Amino acid sequence: MCMATGKTPGELGLYGFRHRKNNSYKDIWIAHSLMVKEKAVWDYLGKKGYKSILVGVPPSYPPKKINGWLISCFITPDSSVNYTYPPELKLEVENLVGEYVFDVVFRKEDRDRVIEEVWEMTEKRFEVIRYLLQEKDWDLFWFVEIGLDRIHHAFWKYFDKEHHLHEPNSKYKNVIRDYYKLLDREIGKTLKLINEDTVIAIVSDHGIKRMKGAFAVNQWLIDEGLLKVRNSLSSGKMIKFEELDVDWNETIAWAWGGYYSRVFLNVKGREPNGVIRISEYDRVRDEVAEAIKSIRGPNGEKWDTKVYYPEDIYPTAKGDKPDMMVYFDDLYWRAAGTLGHPSNYLPENDTGPDDAVHSEYGVFALHLPGMNKSRVVDTTIYDFAPTILKLFGLDDITVSMRGVSLI
Amino acid sequence: MSFVIWLTGPSGAGKTTLAHALEKKLREIGLNVEVLDGDGIRSKLYPDLGFSEKEREMHNRVVVEMAKLLSKNGVATIVSVIAPYKKWREYARKEIGRFVEVYLRCPLEIRIKRDPKGLYAKALRGELKGLTGYNGIYEEPENPELILDTDKMSVEEEVEAVLRKIK
Repeated sequence: MCMATGKTPGELGLYGFRHRKNNSYKDIWIAHSLMVKEKAVWDYLGKKGYKSILVGVPPSYPPKKINGWLISCFITPDSSVNYTYPPELKLEVENLVGEYVFDVVFRKEDRDRVIEEVWEMTEKRFEVIRYLLQEKDWDLFWFVEIGLDRIHHAFWKYFDKEHHLHEPNSKYKNVIRDYYKLLDREIGKTLKLINEDTVIAIVSDHGIKRMKGAFAVNQWLIDEGLLKVRNSLSSGKMIKFEELDVDWNETIAWAWGGYYSRVFLNVKGREPNGVIRISEYDRVRDEVAEAIKSIRGPNGEKWDTKVYYPEDIYPTAKGDKPDMMVYFDDLYWRAAGTLGHPSNYLPENDTGPDDAVHSEYGVFALHLPGMNKSRVVDTTIYDFAPTILKLFGLDDITVSMRGVSLI
Repeated sequence: MSFVIWLTGPSGAGKTTLAHALEKKLREIGLNVEVLDGDGIRSKLYPDLGFSEKEREMHNRVVVEMAKLLSKNGVATIVSVIAPYKKWREYARKEIGRFVEVYLRCPLEIRIKRDPKGLYAKALRGELKGLTGYNGIYEEPENPELILDTDKMSVEEEVEAVLRKIK
């Protein structure tokens, strides 16, 4: 949504998919379309009478009204719900491709099944896209293919010789390459349907790189005396944080897993059984951050761990923000929120097989009609919304945005 | 159960400035925060309410009740009202569980110089009678949790001093 609104996660009050509900210890909410309060590019365009088609732009479930057509994204529960705007569009989609596929469960052992499902999903999506491109009026057409992300996560270790779990000469070593070929073919077929006056952009909302492992952050917090639990963790059985019997009156900090970790502090007057006095908050947070930054790898190697405070990196930090956002070893190590592991350094992701992590820099390519020379630009995700608005002559709206138009 | 920070002091002592600085800091920490501002409550709820002792008492009761309800429901509440009479602030202390009374002390000549609402200028010209802290009553608190000499402290120092008093 940063890309579509030009706003930061702090302004959107969205820091990922999972969020803590009102400073509670265990209640959470998941980001969905109705939580987005800022206007997106298509909202501004709609007001001027321009029509948009959106396919799979997260978070777009439940489907909201737009001036145009919409098919919701990978957070959609399944195809039994209403997933289009207008609702009648669902029938058109299903007449065309049968059951529409939103996402694929990729963290499972049956890799052949993952391949089959990702291919089916992507082929169906492009068929729907080509149908919409031809059958509907549109000024902006924006679609997201989640398959590329899933393929990277599921098959990275088979081609990357540097991956710690690399399997040489696996039958899966070309899956990612083959998927790029599929995308290339599908995009090629699709571009043939578009006239020459159309501006084309290819963008991603994150990069990807090999995962070096998962770091059991809550186990580390216990080792440091910052998290106190009454459970015995020596049985070798994995336990979820939600299942723990935490001694909150003795707990300073706890964390969530993910490609980046969210660390929470137990603050008096904020959490139900808070212990950190408000006047001590800044000092304690700095101390915990310093301790996290000093964590070394499994062989004593230095890590390039980054700790961010939301209100430091965003102009404002609304909503249910974490106290810290942590990139273990510059995201090479994902965070495992679970406990009961024999070591704090896990070779595999704790929630199912996953070979890759998200990285800070994504891709950006823009082609304007008549362009005959390429150039490289320095850009951020915040420049995308102003660029699109500028293309439609809506420069005045972009003034309040953090990014700037690239054209 | 959250807490109430009750800022008291005459006009121009720096209540509003401190209230907003505290609000910003507490929000940054991630607390739910509400500021109950005397002028705000008067203009929104009771636009016709005057400044007689009885009317001020009624206003005070409303503020205490709101602060109590908010803090009971987990909202850190900053009250920024003149509340010139000691007995009402004592009433607030009795009614509210976690209560931090902060007295903002500031010499008259500085308050006249600051005069954010132009009230002292009016009073000096004789157009305003009974201005709290000038020609109207202001009873200094006897045992507040904190006294801030706002002519000698920066807002950051004041915020830090108040936060240290929140137990």
